[in-house]
Amino acid sequence: MIALISSPRLASIQGAIEFIFTPQTSNVTGGKTVGGIHQVLELLVNQLELTIFALALSMIVALPIGLYLGHRGTGELFATVIGNAGRAIPELALIAFMAALIGVGVLNLTIALAVLGIPPLLTNSFVGIHQVDRSAVDAARGMGMTEFEILRKVEIPLAIPTLFAGIRSATIAIVATATIAPIAGVLTLGDFIINQNVYGDDGVLAGAIMVALLALTLEFGLAALQRRLTSKGLKLSPA
Amino acid sequence: MASAIALAAVGEVGKGFIHERTSETLPCQATNKLFCWDWAGEHINRYETPTLQHLELVAISVVIGFVIAFALALLAHRHQWLQPPLLAGTGVLYTIPSVAFFFLLLPLTGRGMDTAIIALSAYTLQIIFRNTMIGFANVPRAVVDAARGMGQTDRQILWRVELPLAMPEIFAGLQVATVSTVAIATLAAFAGGGGLGEPILKGGISFKTNLIIAGGIAFLIAVSLGLILFAVQRFLTPWRRVRQAG
Amino acid sequence: MPSDELTQKAGASPVRYSGATKRYPGSAKAAVEDLTLEVPAGEICVLVGPSGCGKTTAMRMVNRTVEMTEGDIFIGEQSVRDRNPAQLRREIGYVIQQIGLFPHRTIAENIGAVPQLLGWKKERAAARGAELLALVGLDPDLADRYPAQLSGGQQQRVGVARALAADPLVMLMDEPFGAIDPINRERLQNEFLRLQAEIGKTVLFVTHDIDEAIKMGDRIAIMREGGKLAQYATPAELLMDPADEFVEDFVGADRALKRLALMRVSDIDLWEAPLAYVGQATGEVRAKLEGAEVPYPLLVDSERRPLGWLSGRDLAGEQVPARPDSPLGPLLDRDDVMRDALADLLQGESQYAAVVDHEGRIDGVLSVEIISEFLASPEAKTEEHSATERPHG
Repeated sequence: MIALISSPRLASIQGAIEFIFTPQTSNVTGGKTVGGIHQVLELLVNQLELTIFALALSMIVALPIGLYLGHRGTGELFATVIGNAGRAIPELALIAFMAALIGVGVLNLTIALAVLGIPPLLTNSFVGIHQVDRSAVDAARGMGMTEFEILRKVEIPLAIPTLFAGIRSATIAIVATATIAPIAGVLTLGDFIINQNVYGDDGVLAGAIMVALLALTLEFGLAALQRRLTSKGLKLSPA
Repeated sequence: MASAIALAAVGEVGKGFIHERTSETLPCQATNKLFCWDWAGEHINRYETPTLQHLELVAISVVIGFVIAFALALLAHRHQWLQPPLLAGTGVLYTIPSVAFFFLLLPLTGRGMDTAIIALSAYTLQIIFRNTMIGFANVPRAVVDAARGMGQTDRQILWRVELPLAMPEIFAGLQVATVSTVAIATLAAFAGGGGLGEPILKGGISFKTNLIIAGGIAFLIAVSLGLILFAVQRFLTPWRRVRQAG
Repeated sequence: MPSDELTQKAGASPVRYSGATKRYPGSAKAAVEDLTLEVPAGEICVLVGPSGCGKTTAMRMVNRTVEMTEGDIFIGEQSVRDRNPAQLRREIGYVIQQIGLFPHRTIAENIGAVPQLLGWKKERAAARGAELLALVGLDPDLADRYPAQLSGGQQQRVGVARALAADPLVMLMDEPFGAIDPINRERLQNEFLRLQAEIGKTVLFVTHDIDEAIKMGDRIAIMREGGKLAQYATPAELLMDPADEFVEDFVGADRALKRLALMRVSDIDLWEAPLAYVGQATGEVRAKLEGAEVPYPLLVDSERRPLGWLSGRDLAGEQVPARPDSPLGPLLDRDDVMRDALADLLQGESQYAAVVDHEGRIDGVLSVEIISEFLASPEAKTEEHSATERPHG
């Protein structure tokens, strides 16, 4: 029992950390140099790029629609259905299929990943805006704000929590799927995980650790950003 | 130049001829066709095992996840101070991509279905935990006060008042968790856990028919389970409730 | 840019409805039908009626948050249809029942919302904000708080301040005090009337409460289901001369009592009681009793301040005694609200009550008989008090 707990696991973590920082000769595929901070960073940057592009694209597509529909109060069924359907999309099949359909490469993969990011953004932007206190909107309209001003100055600030929940959801889904992008030819940190025969067990663990760290960092970053952007007035409890 | 013209000429002449020869000599899966109906018809049985594995993975993971998350939620309901840490903890498990999770577990549990199940259950925890908490929060204070006022014990209030009223939100969480798990379970193949991801990995990205079938089945399962759970929820809560998008 | 007619420095514009109608598609009955009335500048017009009578719709047609299907509404000389809606609304104060403060903005930012839309400079907006907080009776320290930190009554005061910020020519108020508890509601009503006495805006005020309408309105427009105007009159006219059965029912069976709430004791002709001084010869007093309106003498001091009522026993002796047999009973002031005076009379179980002026000197005598005579007389005209001059609180 002790042997089980102590030796193999610890050895692997140590090996993984070594893998991240120092290039080493792969003990699986003869002679090839794998690992090391440069390779790790390169793949990390690839994944980050892919994630950011895909997130940006899905925001550009989903947010205007969701904000508009939410402001008007129509299209609730549409937003809900898209949200639910989006959750049901099998990531692996999506990546493979989109790669097969429109080809491999960063651009095409960005589109594929954006498809995953659109549903939560659409649903949450709709719900967030739609659920803003109607009396504040009524007062804003009655005092002479244009529809766009109402959206910008009243509805969006009040919908920040829900909006950000959507952004975080989308980011998590995109990062997770970007991990397996290597099967479509774009090398991300997932390559370490998927190609065990190239990188060895240490590499696999190293890849898993890096991916987890990346995801957590993005999540915390977004959470901090959300805190910054949420008005103080919303966080208060009645005096 | 001349040869190109010659080839074109041959092409023009023998087009129909060559066309027929192509469809005869090359099997459907080698072409770029979107969906090969014949192949699909012949090989549909291949997907039986992966589909069953997939369902098994999802069922076990969601049940385990629900049991744990629900228990934690009851705990946090009683001891409010537990909420932030539990929320954060389950949040971390939710954020880590499943693929990474599989392989973080690698040294502990190795490859196989167990690893997949652990990772998939962990993923569902935050959704169910958070929705259950929201469900409790949505129970009107007045109703709890009335129940307490008429002499019900805390335990009775929990089971007879709070849980039934929190049901829609809890079910919404269950629905989201189930649908998401079906989608993510395609990745279990990476950990050697089987499921519908396996034919996808094995078949390669160029064989579209395979992708459509395997992915399609997964998608259909997800959507159907989602609808079924939605129907069950509506059936169990006859009073009108406003459902918020999970 | 506002037109010249609307930048009158007077601070208020008249509002005129001209056949204003609102029909919703798919609905047979109109929400508001052919509404025609004129609200003079600086007056409070209360739109009142049962639920669904279209009073809120009628009010909202003024700032075009509801668009008229037919007819027109004029602010000053200009039709509201000629203005861009958003621009129009920036010149109209808007107060709603649910208050609708922006939770994500401080109180100061909430009040400054319209000035900001109009492009005021920061300092000017801040100064105006402080001015308005004082005007609505709030501590200027609240300026940096958030709405969640204020009570409901305080929030609605901010709502009123917000509506006044850009010095609008017209104010629209939709059941503004409806969501407030009764005690604070009365305070807010009184304070608004006090405010109105100072600033004199033209106000369209919607309520379902006839008592609030009578209290607040210079003019009252009673509407019935189907959006039709049943009667448009001053409160006194409404109480004395309801146009039809519907108005009568809506005003209530106690409209005689309601009228009393509009009057002061000084509005009525009081009876005179024969006065008796301490030490005066009782013969003199008895002589005065002949044919007097009040059959009892009132004992007063040298300053004519009432001390008590004299009975026959008191007059048995030679001189008027220092101590009267009957106590004074209820003592009324000429500025008292008539309704309260009646309540005091009934409670005091005495038939007559002495009425004094500001120095406590006898002015006359009031009795239940006088009041009911007055109410029954067909030519009885009450002095028309405007809402801000009427007794309240």
